[in-house]
Amino acid sequence: MLTVEQLKNELLLEVAAGQNNMSNIIKGVYIGDLLSWVMAHIKKEDVWITIQTNMNVIAVAALGEASCIIVAENAEIEEATLLKADEEGIPLLVSPLSAYEIAVKINKYLQI
Amino acid sequence: MKELALHILDIAQNSIRAEATLIEITIKEDITKDIFSIEIKDNGIGMDEETLKRVEDPFFTTRNTRKIGLGVSLLKTAALQCEGSFNILSKKRMGTILTVVFKHSHIDRAPLGSIEDTIVTLLMMEKEVDYIYNHHYNNNSFSFNTKEVKAILQGLPITDIKVIDWIKRHVADEIKDIVNS
Repeated sequence: MLTVEQLKNELLLEVAAGQNNMSNIIKGVYIGDLLSWVMAHIKKEDVWITIQTNMNVIAVAALGEASCIIVAENAEIEEATLLKADEEGIPLLVSPLSAYEIAVKINKYLQI
Repeated sequence: MKELALHILDIAQNSIRAEATLIEITIKEDITKDIFSIEIKDNGIGMDEETLKRVEDPFFTTRNTRKIGLGVSLLKTAALQCEGSFNILSKKRMGTILTVVFKHSHIDRAPLGSIEDTIVTLLMMEKEVDYIYNHHYNNNSFSFNTKEVKAILQGLPITDIKVIDWIKRHVADEIKDIVNS
């Protein structure tokens, strides 16, 4: 069982918000930036990789019960989004890598 | 683009290339009607019907440096994704008005973002051009006009770092005021 905490350590992710829920379990990965599309397709306990950083991202992750959000390519995150992530208990992590590179790395730790 | 302010910057740069001397940007947010609209109006050289027809085609651009110009089509796509609409009116030698409407509450509607940075970037690019920025939020509104600022400055360039800093703070504060009051 892979947790958000383990993934953070393996991929050297920076935790931007939602640090109280680092024990969430990870079952899969979803990549997408069009929020309405992500909402329709993300699965429970997916890691969601995106470059979107507005507040709606947290709503989508909460509805879709994502295990965490990874913001790719160090996209800048608005203050309101950080606060919302804390409020909703969604771990919000940041990486300098691209969505593809992050996904490839996660695959190593994820036995599907 | 992640912020509507970046779309606005891109469109206003077209106005500058069209030799506009006045660019007016108007944002209307109406929560009851669930509308977020942007209008960008310039007094530039305008477009003939032939050009106007092609302006939404991403493989059309007036630039010689590359043959793909995505600005207008990206904004149109963004609006249509949000159950909005898009329109351009233009007349040769008169100018151009671009209007784009988004459903305010649509999940894919990008936030306005840093419009003060857009205004300041435009000013730095072409300080001879004047800009009017209007922002309506329900019944509140705020207006900023570089002509008025220039009149007060009496010769000090509007691109002076202190003036630029003031403009940034002023615009950001005024928007906060109309949204929160």
